[in-house]
Amino acid sequence: MPEQTKGLVLAGVGGQGVILAGMIVADALVRAGHDVKQSEVHGMAQRGGSVFSHIRWGQSVDSPLVPEASAEVLAAFEWAEALRWVSYVREGGAVVADLRTIVPPGACRNTRSWATTYPGVDPDLFVDRRLTAHLVDAASTATELGNVRTAGSVILGAVSRFCGIDQIHWEAAIESLVPRGTEEVNLAAFRAGCEVGEATIPVAPAPPEGFSGPHQIEIDHTWCKGCDICSRVCPEYCLAVDLRGQLNVVNADVCTGCHLCELLCPDFAISIHPPSTEVVTAVD
Amino acid sequence: MNDVKKYLREWAMPHVLCPGCAHGIVLRSFLEAVDQLQLAQDQVAMVAGIGCSSRLAGYADFCTLHGTHGRAPAFATGLKLARPELDVVVVTGDGDGLAIGGNHLIHAARRNIDITVLLLNNSIYGMTGGQVAPTSPEGTVASTTPSGNTEPPFDPCQLLLGAGASYVARVLAATPTEMTKVMADAILHPGFAFIEVVADCPEYFGRYNKAGGGAEMLTQLAGRDTGVAVQLADKRFVNHIPSSETAPGLQTGVLRRETRPVFSGVRGGGDHGA
Amino acid sequence: MAAGCTFFGGYPITPSSGIAEQMVRSLPGAGGVFVQMEDEIASLAAVIGASLAGSKAMTATSGPGFSLMQEHIGYAAMAEVPCVIVNVMRGGPSTGLPTSPSQGDVMQARWGTHGDHPAIVLAPSSVGEVYDLTVKAFNLAERFRTPVIVLYDEIVGHTRESVTLSPSVEVVDRVAPDAGLQNFLPKAAQANGVPPMSGFGDGYRFHVTGLAHDERGFPTEDAEVAGDLITRLHTKVEDHADEITDVETFMMDDADIAIFAIGIVGRSAREAVGQARAAGAKVGLIRPVTLWPFPSAEVAAVAEQVDTLIVAEMNLGQMIGEVERAAGQRTHIVSHLRADGEPITPSALLDVIESSSRSEEGS
Repeated sequence: MPEQTKGLVLAGVGGQGVILAGMIVADALVRAGHDVKQSEVHGMAQRGGSVFSHIRWGQSVDSPLVPEASAEVLAAFEWAEALRWVSYVREGGAVVADLRTIVPPGACRNTRSWATTYPGVDPDLFVDRRLTAHLVDAASTATELGNVRTAGSVILGAVSRFCGIDQIHWEAAIESLVPRGTEEVNLAAFRAGCEVGEATIPVAPAPPEGFSGPHQIEIDHTWCKGCDICSRVCPEYCLAVDLRGQLNVVNADVCTGCHLCELLCPDFAISIHPPSTEVVTAVD
Repeated sequence: MNDVKKYLREWAMPHVLCPGCAHGIVLRSFLEAVDQLQLAQDQVAMVAGIGCSSRLAGYADFCTLHGTHGRAPAFATGLKLARPELDVVVVTGDGDGLAIGGNHLIHAARRNIDITVLLLNNSIYGMTGGQVAPTSPEGTVASTTPSGNTEPPFDPCQLLLGAGASYVARVLAATPTEMTKVMADAILHPGFAFIEVVADCPEYFGRYNKAGGGAEMLTQLAGRDTGVAVQLADKRFVNHIPSSETAPGLQTGVLRRETRPVFSGVRGGGDHGA
Repeated sequence: MAAGCTFFGGYPITPSSGIAEQMVRSLPGAGGVFVQMEDEIASLAAVIGASLAGSKAMTATSGPGFSLMQEHIGYAAMAEVPCVIVNVMRGGPSTGLPTSPSQGDVMQARWGTHGDHPAIVLAPSSVGEVYDLTVKAFNLAERFRTPVIVLYDEIVGHTRESVTLSPSVEVVDRVAPDAGLQNFLPKAAQANGVPPMSGFGDGYRFHVTGLAHDERGFPTEDAEVAGDLITRLHTKVEDHADEITDVETFMMDDADIAIFAIGIVGRSAREAVGQARAAGAKVGLIRPVTLWPFPSAEVAAVAEQVDTLIVAEMNLGQMIGEVERAAGQRTHIVSHLRADGEPITPSALLDVIESSSRSEEGS
């Protein structure tokens, strides 16, 4: 009976090195004598979007795409990506997930509290499918080694224990594919990753320094003519003109202070104030 | 963002212009430019003619002259010659500046008198009730062209380039920061500076020609900016933004900037200008 | 220039171009500015702009150019911008008789621009008087914040004669507002009906408009405010008409026939009066030096005195209506008109005097 084809999914956010990591995994598997196919999607990488790489290996591989619930292991470089792709892991498979969180703009829903729709970190999510969860803090490990950009190699180290090929193939692949001059530091990161322990789950991230809430929108209703330009240009949908033709702030918590409404108000009726400003006004 | 209300006659607000008319946006951008340059408020003279655009002068807290229809460049010429230290800015429209006042505009450009002219082009006569203007595109429905305009329009920038203006630029009312940048640049230009500000008229042009309200007209206007299209076209993955027959592309930005002798009239001290 | 004029903006037109040609030679050396504009509309606009900048400014034109200037004469009246307009009258209407004299603009000088407005029009008859009245025109313009028209015909305009200029002239300047006012109202009149005037760049920021406006200079459609403004524009001039009016009389003491004439016709009439007196007729002359405001009281007094009042004018009867209105039924009025581009000569007036005398004897 031919060896069953196995799958691995790497997922992360644009800029994290997912593509390079995928190439290294594939190369290592080839070096170990497997037939390997790989496919990747990186269209939205520029906007902090999702990037992933599918790798399948075995005696003879037909398709590069890993079917759902079939991967031996998911290597997630970012927490939300781990959740996005976890359904691809077979029951009893493994998830290597970096606890790093990168909040995409679309998940920012309240800049006042810095609250987002970003999911919390909860390893129990994997329990019901009997997955082996290996949560790491690759960035910290890599920083300790002197180069935060080798976090990807740390993750590969953590992944290597679930792939069943010899360490020599991994190291050869890394040496041949990482940028010239970084071979040593990446190899060190990989070896550290092989032994990296479970990360401590962090508390919810604090708001960025100096942030104290959304910008404040002041409307002068005696000047406003309800022309609707402001509400149409607001990227955050903060403003709306009601049926009586009156302009209202409908979403005060999300103003980012871009000033588009203020600059495009023909009637000088909108003033945007920084979060800390005291605005003495009766906003309807 | 600067508080430009200090340059407004707040007691005169709200202004008389219709909802969605971009002229107020243009005034704001101009006030931002004045603020950026830190011009002395007492030494700024705003000279206007007659029409919607010209009403803006009344709301700006400078020395403001609301003159007669089309004659603002001539008033401004006398003012600048008699008191060269003033920063003189003319606010005019397509009817005011290109029809009844076309003669004054081209001669001010030819002389290269050191004034700045903002021509707010909304392609229609607004103040008088939506009549066809020298910049109305062919086919425009106006109160005096109910079956559509059959006359070809002026391109204001081409006209001023032909008249020898030493600075010619086009900006869109939909892009206020760009407007401010160009206005500040034009004010600093020694000599005659002309800016065509492409604006909207939702009340007449928009209504008669089913072009929508202020928001729709400004959005469409922003899409006609070939300056942006050219920049984006450099990115391989963005298709060229096509321009339709009814709304051709608009080349924005500074179209000419040259230095030539500034006109100062015939005056003593051997300084006879150009 | 003796009056303090430092700005001339003009456009070439016969027979007034000589004024521009002299101004471009004289003004620059005296610290003034000359500009030739693209048309007469622009010329007066530039003059108004210069006046708002604090200069005493003037233009000069003729017939068709004066028609084009009407728009801005009204603007200057409404916005109360001092300026002087010289109109050297030529034959009209339209292009008419460009090189010939006429008095066809006397009513246009009063009523040429649309709407109700005040008018100060001075009518010199000699080169020397052109000098004196141009100075006076500037003084009146500055005092009343209004456009003042100096109106004469092609003959006076093209006459060369020796004149004795006063070594010094009285110069009136506009009244400036007090410095440091918190709330400067550019159109708030003093007791004399004239608001103090600030120039652009002098420190006060204000709005100037040709629309009906309030004391802030800001447009209004308030009937009371608009009505008060239009009324004040009139009364500030009419209430001081006696201080403006100047009438020259000649041999009127015992006259029972009088000639009413302005400008060059006044000079013909003076010659005719001299010759008629030599022949024994009791003839005199009344020549308004200030045509508008119309010297009604002076005309009425003459009408009271004489049996016949001959109104001689180089048009088809523009002033006679005003004379009749002022004279009432007090005297017999004879009209002598000519509008063919030729002047009214002394001999023609002598004929009129003779026939008037005969009809008087016959009555």
